[in-house]
Amino acid sequence: MTRRRWALVLLGVAVAGWIIGGEWVSIHRDVPEDHLLDALLGLSFLGAGVAALDRRPGNAIGPLMIAVVVVGFFGNWGNLPVPLLPTLGLVSGALGTALLAHIALAYPGGRLRTAFERVVLSAFYATALGTSVVFALTWAPRSFGCPHGWCPWTPSLFPNQTASDMASWISDHAGIVLGPLFLAAIGLRWRRASRAERRSLTPLWVAVSMLAVVYVIGAFASRDPLSDPFAHLLWELGVVLQIGIPIVFAWGLLSSRLARSAVGDLVVELERPLPPGGLRSALSRTLGDPSLQVAYAIQGESRWVSAEGLPVSLPAQNAGSGPRRATVVEMDGEPVAALIHDPALDAGLVRAAGAAAGLAIANERLRAEVRAQLEEVRASRQRIVEAGDRERRRVERNLHDGAQQRLITLSLALGMLRDQPAADLAMRAALADACAELKQATAELREMARGIHPAILTEEGLPPAVESLAYRSTVPVRVKSDLSTRLPEPVEATAYFVISESLANVAKYAHASGVHVTITTRDGFLRLEVSDDGIGGADPGIGSGLLGLEDRVSAVGGTLRVASPRGGGTRVLAEIPVDA
Amino acid sequence: MRRSVVIVDDHAGFRTQARALLIAAGYEVAGEAGDGESGVRAARDLRPEVVLLDVQLPDITGFEVARRIHEDPDPPAIILISSRDATDYGGRIARSCARGFICKAELSAGALEAVLNGTGR
Repeated sequence: MTRRRWALVLLGVAVAGWIIGGEWVSIHRDVPEDHLLDALLGLSFLGAGVAALDRRPGNAIGPLMIAVVVVGFFGNWGNLPVPLLPTLGLVSGALGTALLAHIALAYPGGRLRTAFERVVLSAFYATALGTSVVFALTWAPRSFGCPHGWCPWTPSLFPNQTASDMASWISDHAGIVLGPLFLAAIGLRWRRASRAERRSLTPLWVAVSMLAVVYVIGAFASRDPLSDPFAHLLWELGVVLQIGIPIVFAWGLLSSRLARSAVGDLVVELERPLPPGGLRSALSRTLGDPSLQVAYAIQGESRWVSAEGLPVSLPAQNAGSGPRRATVVEMDGEPVAALIHDPALDAGLVRAAGAAAGLAIANERLRAEVRAQLEEVRASRQRIVEAGDRERRRVERNLHDGAQQRLITLSLALGMLRDQPAADLAMRAALADACAELKQATAELREMARGIHPAILTEEGLPPAVESLAYRSTVPVRVKSDLSTRLPEPVEATAYFVISESLANVAKYAHASGVHVTITTRDGFLRLEVSDDGIGGADPGIGSGLLGLEDRVSAVGGTLRVASPRGGGTRVLAEIPVDA
Repeated sequence: MRRSVVIVDDHAGFRTQARALLIAAGYEVAGEAGDGESGVRAARDLRPEVVLLDVQLPDITGFEVARRIHEDPDPPAIILISSRDATDYGGRIARSCARGFICKAELSAGALEAVLNGTGR
């Protein structure tokens, strides 16, 4: 049994205790069969509510049914001689009818759909709360006498006979207005419902409509069901009908009809064009699972991607244990997608929803496949750039450790020979020439190695490497950096090339008297800015090297912007994601 | 008296050539080291007057070696050397505790004297 199931069992036991305890507390006051009926009513709502929570997590009907039980039995606990309990019981008990109306109007999806439904339901809640609060505040049983020899231990703050009479009159007669409004809302809903929906809702609506009729008749009958046999009969009939509601509902839940009606809504919803991510949220609403994910199959490969084209791995298929379960949706025998969902969901419902959304899923799958391909191209572009960088580092290292060291050793040896006192003049001159040539060759090699890849970048990171660039620049450069840690190699290399290329452009074209280089990190992005006070007018399109920079930056998922108004200097701005 | 020198460089060929050059120029080569850690140890154990220190070493950088040696009482004069150019290191050479810098290809008795006498870089 999962932890969720255990929690549901605990909840069920606790609320059952609430029901039976409440009856026990009030048993001294009423005739015994009413208690039994009352408890049965509570237990039937509780059972159906827990079943709904179990089978349709995320649907409001389950919690609403349990709420009916909790508020309904508060009144019984109000018979305990504890201050304030009767008042709270009175107010909360008044909410029962409104909650019932809520369940009926929201069934089966758990949501209200029209403004009219919301208005009707608000009227129910407002009437219940308003009249019960006024009544609780103004009714003073001790000063007006206690009915049936029973007095609640409630302090009355503003004892006022007129106000309490008015509140109870409104509460008793509100049904005259609310009942027809409720029936109208239900009728409208019926008219809009699809055939499948009508089938699944029929039993519930019959029960609720009958209850509404009883409620309206009750509003005209005597307000004291205990002394008027006709009123009592109506009351008992009402309770029996109410017991029927959750039973009908539970039956609807366990049969697949309800699933079909929810799926019917989904089909209607999918007829409209979907916004990005709309398919996932439509399925998630239908199934009542906010955490639902959709993974799409890549044709001819056994892998799955998200709508964004990123790889997704499916949870293990052995049913029962894991925190998630995958249900594969097939079309023409080929898997097109997998719905990854809460294992508590009804498997038949998930399959039905998947089948109903088949066409939309197939379309979305094609889009996901294209995005996956784009993502692959982006990743391979990044790999190519990284491989290039690696190769450049290797070549620079080899030059430095190999040819350069040998040339240096050779140059030292020649220098010593040249400085030998024994050597004759002609040989000294020849050796001096050779030394000079060698020195030139070494310097050129060094320059070349630096151009291939700056070793200082690999060894010391971006700020020292940029400092060295600034040091060598012919235009004065001021560097500001808030970078304190090393960044991934592709990010550092890209940033270095952006700055080095920009500085080279400044030296070549800008006629600037100074350059500012700013390096900052914020919100997971490395932000580079190179701005000069030169003549501006740089065009990224014309072989300025800016186009190559743009490619390089976008290969690591970054962006490059160049602002270069004529006469207004040039500003190169690059943003590179640090986790590239 | 001949000045004593310790050479810290990871290229054996360079060390051999530098040793010959230094001896010919009248220095005494007290020892050699092939990496930063053993360079720090050699400087502490042999107490030379001059340490010829490569910037790029396989373990720690020459800057770090220089910093550690310089923390000792009465430290030797440290001369950084590299096959790269001084400008490759930005302002780090100037900020380091080294006496000066010589590009390896330009290493000679004259260059050494110039740095030690404070007339070179």
